[in-house]
This record gives sequence, C-alpha cells and structure tokens, in this order.
Amino acid sequence: MKIRKELWFGLSFMALVIIGAATLLLSVEKITNGHLGLLMLSLVVTAIMLGFPTAFTLMGMGMIFTWLAYNRDTTKTLDLMVQAAFKTMASDVLIAIPLFVFMGYLVERANLIEKLFKSLHLAMARIPGSLAVATLVTCAIFATATGIVGAVVTLMGLLALPAMLRAGYSVPLAAGAITAGGCLGILIPPSVLLIVYGATAGVSVVQLYAGAFFPGLMLTGLYILYVILVAKIKPQWAPPLSAADRAVTLPPLTQQLTTGTDKYALTGLFSALKGKRNADVPLGHILRQLAIVVLPGLLFLLAVATSYQAVTTVNAEAVYDIQQIGSSSSSSAPSADTGGLQEPPQEDGLKEPVAEGGLQEPPSGDVKEPPGAEAPAAAPAAASVAEPPAAAAASADKAPAAASTRDAPTWWWVCFAIFGALVALFYLFLSFARLEIFKMLLTSFFPLMVLIISVLGSIVMGLATPTEAAAMGALGGFILAIAYKRLTLSVLQESVFLTAKTSAMVCWLFVGSAIFSAAFALLGGQELVETWVLSMNLSKTQFLVMSQAIIFVLGWPLEWTEIIVIFMPIFIPLLDNFGVDPLFFGLLVALNLQTAFLSPPVAMAAFYLKGVAPKHVTLNQIFLGMLPFMGIQILAIVLLYQFPAIGLWLPQLLYK
Amino acid sequence: MQSFLLAVDRFSTWIGKACAWSVVLLTVLISWEVFSRYVLNRPHAWVLDAQIMLYGLLFMMAGAYTLSKNGHVRGDVLYGFLRPRTQAIVDLTLYIIFFLPGVIALTWAGWTYANESLAIREQTFNADPLPVYPFKFVIPVSGFVLLLQGIVEIIRCIQCIQTGAWPVREGDVEEVDVEKLKEMVHVKDEDMAALERDLALKESHK
Repeated sequence: MKIRKELWFGLSFMALVIIGAATLLLSVEKITNGHLGLLMLSLVVTAIMLGFPTAFTLMGMGMIFTWLAYNRDTTKTLDLMVQAAFKTMASDVLIAIPLFVFMGYLVERANLIEKLFKSLHLAMARIPGSLAVATLVTCAIFATATGIVGAVVTLMGLLALPAMLRAGYSVPLAAGAITAGGCLGILIPPSVLLIVYGATAGVSVVQLYAGAFFPGLMLTGLYILYVILVAKIKPQWAPPLSAADRAVTLPPLTQQLTTGTDKYALTGLFSALKGKRNADVPLGHILRQLAIVVLPGLLFLLAVATSYQAVTTVNAEAVYDIQQIGSSSSSSAPSADTGGLQEPPQEDGLKEPVAEGGLQEPPSGDVKEPPGAEAPAAAPAAASVAEPPAAAAASADKAPAAASTRDAPTWWWVCFAIFGALVALFYLFLSFARLEIFKMLLTSFFPLMVLIISVLGSIVMGLATPTEAAAMGALGGFILAIAYKRLTLSVLQESVFLTAKTSAMVCWLFVGSAIFSAAFALLGGQELVETWVLSMNLSKTQFLVMSQAIIFVLGWPLEWTEIIVIFMPIFIPLLDNFGVDPLFFGLLVALNLQTAFLSPPVAMAAFYLKGVAPKHVTLNQIFLGMLPFMGIQILAIVLLYQFPAIGLWLPQLLYK
Repeated sequence: MQSFLLAVDRFSTWIGKACAWSVVLLTVLISWEVFSRYVLNRPHAWVLDAQIMLYGLLFMMAGAYTLSKNGHVRGDVLYGFLRPRTQAIVDLTLYIIFFLPGVIALTWAGWTYANESLAIREQTFNADPLPVYPFKFVIPVSGFVLLLQGIVEIIRCIQCIQTGAWPVREGDVEEVDVEKLKEMVHVKDEDMAALERDLALKESHK
C-alpha cells in the first residue's frame, strides 16, 4: 500500500511515540505497574492520533487499565468509573463552561462584530496599518466575549480580509492578522481553556482570569506593535487608507449644519442652536447630537464626583472597621466598600469612550489603573487619611492645589488627570466626522465593553463567582441580542444547541480523563515520572523550558483540550518540586497552546480562513502570514517567563 | 435499516436538545439568585445544588446528541486524510475495543449507583435538601442513550466498509456555518467575485 504524503506527518509522530515507549520498556530490567502506566500513556496518545473520539478512548483505555491495576477486581473498577463520572457532573468549576459558551454564541449571533470592525477601522484610520490594527482590536474585544476561534476567524475573514485586500494589503500580513487575532479568544478571559486548566490543576479560575488578563493584553499589544512597525517599514504591504476610504458619510441633517459653519462639533452645534442659519434643521436633531456630544463629559464629571466621594467618605467607616475586625472589611461595611468596589468597572466603561474618541488605541489601556488599584489602595489610603469628608468633596475641582493636602490618594489624582486630559482632547478634536464615528462606537463598542467589564470585573473583584458572572454574562448576551434586534427563536435555538454540543464535548472529555487519570495514578505512573524527572537534576528554568517544549510539540497532533486533561495531571504534581506556581504554569501553558493554533500544518485557524478567502489566497500564503505572529507568541512566552509579574501582579494584588 | 439509524439519531438528538434548554434555565436561575441574594438579601441554599444538577443534566444528556452529529473532539492529524473505508475500519475497531466496554461499564455501574441512592432516598447535604437520586439516574440513562447511539455508529462503520462511503446523516446547527455567517454580516458571493476581479485587474496593471 502506498502511503500518501499527508499521512506521513501523523504516522511518523505515532511511530516516534511507540518507539519511545518501546525503548523505555525494554531498557528496564523489571516491568512494574508504573511502566504499565507509561505504556498506557503512549498508547492513548497513539489512539487519539488515530482519530477516534478522545473522550471514549480515554474512558475505554482508562477502564481497562484500572481493571488491571486493581488486579482484575471488577466491582472496584466500576465504582471508580461511576465516581469519576459523578465528580465531573457535580463539578462546581466546570459549570461555568456552558454558561460562558452560551454567552459567547449569543454575543456572536448578535452580529456586533460587523459594526465593531467598521467603526474601529474608521476610528483608527490614521494609524499605520489601520485595517490590520482594527482587525486585531476587534478580535481582542470579541475575545473577551467569546472564545470561539472558528467563528471569529471566519467572520473576520468575511469582513476584514476583503477590506484589506482591496486597500492593497499584502495577503500574508492580512491573513496573519486575522488568524492571530481570532486565536486571542483562547487566552483572553473568560476563556474556556482557563476553566479547563483550573478544573484539572485545582487552581482558582478567578486567579487564572486575573492572571491571564495582562498577558492577553500584552500579546495583543505586541501584535499591534508588529503590524504598525511593518506598515512603517514596508508601506507597500500595508498602504495607508485613501481619503475616500476614510471618509465618514454624515447624515443629511448634520451635513446641513456643517456647511458654512466651523467643523468642530461642539461649537458648531451650539451656534446652530442659537443661530438662525440652520432654520431648516429641526431643533430635536440638534439637541440629540448635542446630548451625545455632552455625554462623555457628563459621565466623566459624574464618575469624578462619585469616585471622589467614595474615596474620601470611606475613611470614617473604614477606620472604624479596621479597628474592629482587622482586614476582612469587605463583608461588614457594605455601604462604603461596595461603593468603592463597584465604582471601577462602571467608571471605566464610561471613561473608555473618551480614550476611544480621541483616537488613542482603545482597549489596551482600559482596565489598567482603576480596578487594579482601587480596591486595595482604598484600604491603606483610608487608614492614613482622616480628613473631614465634607470639606474634601468640595475641593474636587481644584485639581493641582489639592494634591498636597492629601485628602485623596495620589493614584486618584493621576487617574483624574489622565482621564481629564483625554476628555479635553476628545472635545478639542471633535469634528462632525468624529462625532459620527463616536456614535457608531456608542452602538457597537460600548455595550459590549460594559457587558465584558461587568462580567470580568465582578469576577476579578470577587463580587461574584465565575459561575454567577457567567450567568449574568449570558443574560447580558440575551439583552444585547434583543437590543440589536437579532434575537429570534432560531438564533436562540442555535445558540442553545451549539452550547449543548460544545459543553458535551468538553465535559465528556473530563469524564473520560477522570477515569484515565485515576488509572494512571493507580498504576503508579505518576511516581515513576516523578522519580525520573527528579533524577535528571533539572533546574527550575530547565524544567520549565522542557515542559513547555513538550507541550508545544504535543500541540501539533493534539487539541488543547486533550493536552490539558491528559498531560496536566502529570505535570502539575511535579511543579512543587521545582517551586513553580501552578497559576504561573497555567498562564505559560495557555500562551503556549495558543501557538498550536497558529503552527502549520495543523493550524485550524488557517483552514477556517481558507474556507472563506478569495480563491487566489493560497494556504501557503496564510501559513506564511502566521509565522511572524507565532514568533511574537514565543516572544510573549519568553517575556512572561522573564517577568512573571506581568501575569502574577494582578492576582497577587487582589487575592493576597 | 437506514430509517432505523436515522430514527435513533433523531431520538438522541431530541433528548439532547430537550436537555440543552437547561442552559437557559441555568442562566435564569442563577441570575435570579444573584439578584435575590445581593439585592433582596434573600439567598436560597438549594440553588447551588440545583444549578449543578442542571449543568450535569445538560452535558451528560447531550453526549449522545453530540456523538450522533459527529461532534466529539477527535485527533485530526491522520483521520481527516484517510479514505472513508480506512476511517471506518479504525473507528469500528476502536468502538469495539474502547467505546463498548467503557460505556457498558458506565451504564451498568451508574445503574447500581443510582439505585443505591434511591434505596436510601439520598438528599443533598444542605439546609434545604434536594433529592439526589434522580440526578444520579442521569448517569445510566445518558449512558444507555449513548450506547444506543454507539451501536448505530458501529452499524454505520460496517456500512461504510461495505460501500466505501459514509452513510448520510441529518444536518444540524454548525458552529461555523459559512453561509449563515455570510448572511449575517451581509457579505454576498457577488461581492467576493467582484473583489477578485478588481484585484486581478490591479495585478495586471502593475
């Protein structure tokens, strides 16, 4: 039989595993149960590569080897199986999976992505490589709502790829930006991967989410940086948009306003209000525009006032609180503390528009200062400051003078200055065209942002468990779909059924792997691996590099779900010996497995994109475009490894 | 024969889809409980148990449905490149070696497990207890449906080995349904064709 060349990759991988297992078994004098465990592991990898549904491979193989490990005791084997299944059914971690998946499908089907991409690419028209940057930003924002790689890549392939090709972008760059952006959902919370890792490794999902947040942002930032650099160095790969592509069509009524008057929206609208020149434009229209224009400023002032009040009035109660029960103030001072805690997400979502309208890169900066700093900083600030709150509230407007009187903490003034400057910039540059862009963002970007920030914020701040936040997020997805008039019975049905299929796929894998891991542990495979790894006398670095390299290689033939449920139970117990934090390891693994989505020849993202790309775009061009982004991912892993604080800073700050 | 296979497909799909709606229930239940706890200050102890049961029901019962739509995750380095007949041989072998023993054992063990629970009328360990035994019966029931579906899949493998082509299945919602997604974002095939013409034109002008 002649073997076709597509089969060589898989077959040689299988052969490698089998040869490895065989040499291992033949090299020892006495075959113990532990070696049987390793044999089982290599067999299962081979069987998975054959292509049989993994859940049942694990279940069947696990059962057979459990039976062997129990010395052919059928009752015990059956007990273990049913316990494993019931453990998965009663898991209070995995329960968040269907809810987050459901939220993702609802948000995806609300068709926000089309508006989001169009408004972002207009908002960023002046940035070099603007279309590719807008693609990445859209993907990153979408990744915070859904973790569905295939659908996002397909949608961006339909929306962004034609736009980029028409604008004269090189095919590899366009394809690379779409595939790399589409895969961000794997890492950026609320990702299913992190729940699966958390459930397998026994790490808190909340901490994983907090930890993955900045690495996700970092990766997005590096992608964007790369695209901008390429656009600067090789303008022929990503030519700037022509004036026609950048033009924003104003609604006819607004157009009448702009003719003859100055182009700044704020003054333009005000003069239209009192002037007689625009008698044919109805007053209602002008007032509506004006209301939208004033909105960010009002929200900013509101946020300033409330947060200032929260910051300064917390004092009296918190001091009292600290004396009484020490550090656990959050539970007993509801009025003051919830005020301080609920503030950041809201305030953040509201201030974000400002950064957006002023054409700064929008999502990367958003949650940085307030949510992180607010809660913990409030406590020390509260302890040290004992000012009468009434006097403090009045001085909210005297920005520079108040800094020395320390009635509000420095970080508050820093935030105030930054956001104040952004609001000022926003109004300074607000032309009628930008007003239209702002309105588009208002209907596409901000609703999603509010949803995401409230979901992630409430998890990270400890207000809600991931399950509760996921349920609220799913409810938010419902509301979004209704608000965009996309919620029909068929959309709901599709989302529900797809959720059931995806959850069944992931959770049955857990049923299988629970049985399998139990068998592996019973056979003593774990101890064998442990003594073997320890006998190599690795340093912490060597161990991490080795484990990540193994996971990277496994990422080719296996899916991330399989890698996590089969191999993490083997790696996690080893971490203790090397002093590696399982949380940190999880972040490395999540970054690492993301590269698997972009590594040819099995990268799924490429095939999804190929499915919708114009015919002249070849698979090789897509692969070529993915390579630099894969390089960036590896760079990100190295960066995270060198500076663990990128990932660990937020969880340590919040959950100390 | 074909109608029998499709009937079983429809049966597991129906059960899976019926239980799939529990995700909506789950969303509503938890959202309501969050509201009740944080706003009305009236927590309910049983909700935590109820939500876990809904989740367990959801994914266990959807197992057979997912199998009937070929939706369980497979390693795809080799399988996708094989001829249908070879695929069927691989599947058939592994269904017999892994699937049948595993699922039969799970169903059997689940049956005794649930009956033990029924015998003592087991309840959740909670201030407002809920009965646990109906939930435990989910294991044998879902195992049984899965087994039924598995037998259908085995028959399909045999048919495929005989004819060299996979028998048809009924369609279902797909995660990436290109046509539907195209419609959703208002991309038409003509636009794509026009784009391609324009690009070719641009290329020739260079």
